[in-house]
Amino acid sequence: MKLALRQFRRGLAAGDYRTLIAALVVTIAALTAVGLFAGRMAKLLNTEANNLLAADAVLTADHPIPAHFAGAARAAGLVVAQTQAFPSMAAKGDAAVLASVKVIDGAYPLRGKLWLTGHAESATGAPPAGSVWLDPRLANRLNLKVGDALRLGNTQFNVAALIEREPDAALDFASLQPRLMMNAADLARTGLVGFGSRIKYRLLVAGPPQAVAAWQQQARSALARGERLEDVREARPEVKTALERAETFLRLVTLLAATLSGTAVLLAARRFAARRADAVALYVTLGATRAQIRGILLGELLLLFVFGALAGGALGWGAQEVLGWAVRDRLPAPLPAGSVWPWIAACGFGGVLLIGVAGPALLRLAATPPIRVLRRETTAPPRLWLTLALTGIATAALFVGVAGNAKLAAIVAAGIAGALLAAGLLGWALLLLFGRFAKGFAARIAVRQLARRRWLAAAQLGALAVGLLGLWLLTVVERDLLSAWEKRVPVDAPNQFAINIQPDQAASFDKAFADAGFAPPALQPMIRGRWVAQNGKPVDPKRFEEDRAQRLAEREFNLSWGETLRADNRLDAGTPLDESKPGYSVEAGLAKTLGIRLGDTLTFDVAGTWVSAPVVNLRTVDWDSFRVNFFVVGTRSLFAELPASLITSFHLPVERRDVVARWSAQFPNVTFIDVGEVLGEVRRVLELASSALRLVFGFCLAAGLTVLLAALETTAPERRREAAVMRALGASRAQITRVQWIEGAAIGATAGLVAGVAASVSGWLLAREVLELTVPWNWQLPLMSLATGVLLAALITAWERRQLSRASALRLLRDPG
Amino acid sequence: MSIASSAPVSDSVLECRALGKRVLVADGPLDLLADISFSLPEGESLAIVGASGSGKSTLLALLAGLDLASSGSVALAGTDLASLDEDGRARLRGRLAGFVFQSFQLLPELTAIENVMLPLELASRKGARDIAAGWLERVGLGKRLEHTPRTLSGGEQQRVALARAFCTEPRILYADEPTGSLDTHTGEKIADLLFELNRETGATLVLVTHDEALAARCSTSLRIAAGRVIEQRGFAA
Repeated sequence: MKLALRQFRRGLAAGDYRTLIAALVVTIAALTAVGLFAGRMAKLLNTEANNLLAADAVLTADHPIPAHFAGAARAAGLVVAQTQAFPSMAAKGDAAVLASVKVIDGAYPLRGKLWLTGHAESATGAPPAGSVWLDPRLANRLNLKVGDALRLGNTQFNVAALIEREPDAALDFASLQPRLMMNAADLARTGLVGFGSRIKYRLLVAGPPQAVAAWQQQARSALARGERLEDVREARPEVKTALERAETFLRLVTLLAATLSGTAVLLAARRFAARRADAVALYVTLGATRAQIRGILLGELLLLFVFGALAGGALGWGAQEVLGWAVRDRLPAPLPAGSVWPWIAACGFGGVLLIGVAGPALLRLAATPPIRVLRRETTAPPRLWLTLALTGIATAALFVGVAGNAKLAAIVAAGIAGALLAAGLLGWALLLLFGRFAKGFAARIAVRQLARRRWLAAAQLGALAVGLLGLWLLTVVERDLLSAWEKRVPVDAPNQFAINIQPDQAASFDKAFADAGFAPPALQPMIRGRWVAQNGKPVDPKRFEEDRAQRLAEREFNLSWGETLRADNRLDAGTPLDESKPGYSVEAGLAKTLGIRLGDTLTFDVAGTWVSAPVVNLRTVDWDSFRVNFFVVGTRSLFAELPASLITSFHLPVERRDVVARWSAQFPNVTFIDVGEVLGEVRRVLELASSALRLVFGFCLAAGLTVLLAALETTAPERRREAAVMRALGASRAQITRVQWIEGAAIGATAGLVAGVAASVSGWLLAREVLELTVPWNWQLPLMSLATGVLLAALITAWERRQLSRASALRLLRDPG
Repeated sequence: MSIASSAPVSDSVLECRALGKRVLVADGPLDLLADISFSLPEGESLAIVGASGSGKSTLLALLAGLDLASSGSVALAGTDLASLDEDGRARLRGRLAGFVFQSFQLLPELTAIENVMLPLELASRKGARDIAAGWLERVGLGKRLEHTPRTLSGGEQQRVALARAFCTEPRILYADEPTGSLDTHTGEKIADLLFELNRETGATLVLVTHDEALAARCSTSLRIAAGRVIEQRGFAA
């Protein structure tokens, strides 16, 4: 160990394996930084999204929630709040309006903020006893102002404030009545709650994520009839999509960072092992036994690893702190603490790469014949299969672990494998072609040299191709995929829904919009229908095991008609709807949950009329477009004669919210629903994720490129030796440079072209299959990549040329490294 | 050809009998060395001379157990090298032999003193640093202990190699073209130092060289051509 320690220490100082250490440190640092930062961002995004629940977890029941649930939460150090919601008439004089009453206690909300109109700070706690807070629509309909009196049940209340924004309004999205909030202490004396009241009881819980998760698990096993756990992802599909997309993006970038720096470790480790051969032969000559040598080599490897883990961990931790600091102003809350797992995973990956590549080669070195000290060429070849197997395992483990998504892992892995294979084949074909047709001294020598050390050339080509693939995929993610997502949810995405518009109101509705200075919204027909049969068999909601499926099957469906597939819908299977053939188009997620297959005949009961037709297609809906969308759409002929209303969504700037009150008065039957809060949340997730991603992207790019260049440089000694021989034989510097240029350009161009094509194909597939985004095919990428490949090769050649012009031919012949 | 040393066989530190090395090349088997026999008494010096490619270095490798013979035997201090495995031969070298190479073979990342300490530490010798420092002092590099090979001239590097070779007080020293990479003046100085140290320690010297003047300083010599001994000097017939 003493010798290993000394070798390691001197190696560090003398720069003997500086590249390997740099590559290892950067690999561990990049993976740690990206993994840690991504994890912290994901936690923050989830916490943020939980604002829509006003808690981290919510238990809902149609009866008072048993005290043991709250007791268990408090015992686990969590904070709790309770709410009750029910419809009730609110009255002023003779006028009465149905309101959605929400009873809150002093702890509400646990997450997110409740804003009252005219208040500079968000509200904490419930309204004072004897007073209520109102939705402006309710105040408007009853002609109430702050300070007026309002009757609820048999009790008079004082209107203390108007509600501007309620964090968890989305949970009661289905209740269309305007909100009224009151203090829990007042509930009993209103006399509103009695046997048979339709009250929704909620227990809100918040605290450290692990404790919340543990409580949820415990609560889930203790759920009785009518009780269920609510989840923001389930409550709002838009938020679910946004969160999942953000997570996938972060995972993808981590994966690419690993690919880039991993390639550098592979190259550098190979060179390290080759250089150690001389030392090993000397050890044997001087009397070292195999066991001693193995001890020295493994000790050295272990020290390298420990150094890489510690330095990489520290650097990675520092880098992600810097990343966090850079985005701090854009964050709604401080980033939560990260876990140690990304570092452990990074060390694991780095360690296996190191052992996978350097290990077999080094162990094989223990069998280096001592005669190598006299004759250089006698080196035992490393066990290729062992190297391949170990690095394969490391890569697979990393991909599965980091990607957390088989499709994501498979596409990136296939991209890498494809790039390697294509690079190999193309390189081989070019070599054959040029071997036959190359003219001139430089080209002939270059082809001959490439052919002679084709394994080195292949390693270089493969590494450059994979490295460039990583870089280009990062670029595609940053430029195309992220922009596609941002365009998907624009700042002016619809934030209001208007439902229950009667067909004969369509013209006046359009006019009301025009009068207020807005473009008339696109109105869509909506029919309420109950799903009654599948393939002629009655639908029994109880047969569904999944909670969500049961609820979906019990509820009335919002159906629509229209043959044109909308821009935010994509056909997954089947044929488009055709006016001449009655049929249904079903949203793919719903079909999966409810076990509906293409070709099934569905029957809906619409106001007593049974409407049957086969499912002709399944489609994916971009729920985060915030446009009106339907789970089930039929052909026009199916519903044309049935009673329908119209629905629309539109964007209303915050400062024009007043028009809603006016329109509500003009169209009393129409319900306006504000989804601004949900849209805001989705935009926040998107903005946070994209600013985080752009930063991480820059970091990965810089780190990856640096180590890749350095690692490619480690393949230079062989070429330097050849150059020295040529120079010793009288070749001019210009001739040698030309040879190196042709070699470099051939490798760079091949790798660049292959990487560009692979990146544009993988990027397109990732967008389509994993992120469910539509991006245009990136045609320029292969050409840009080709140019970059040549440029990179030129940089390396230029660097080598400098080295070459500094050293004498003799020195290079003696020590090319 | 068979040659017997003038000294009694029992005093031999190195003895080889009908030594041969055959390798397979594209055209069939090729004899790199054939039928070499001699025995070298303790404290003698042997020069192996010949043109480039004659098989000198191959013979040195076989005599030191760096490679195995295809036929015949080599005994180092009475131990048949073929009877030992690779580790056994390494241990034997560690105990008995020192080496000096044409290309110095210093580890570039280690300092001069660390290079000299290497064989001492591999043999788990106590006080390795002091012994190494003493030998570096002896070869005139007492003030350059912490220099790495890159910062030393060729002559200085070979001095470090000499210190490394002698610090374990070997019974036999193998030197492969020790002045081959040096200019004439430096080469002469190194040769002087090598013979001086050899005399002081009483080690047996096996020297591969194409330098006739250097060979003439040895008490015995073998001239090799095409893998066979064509001339010998100093051995009893």
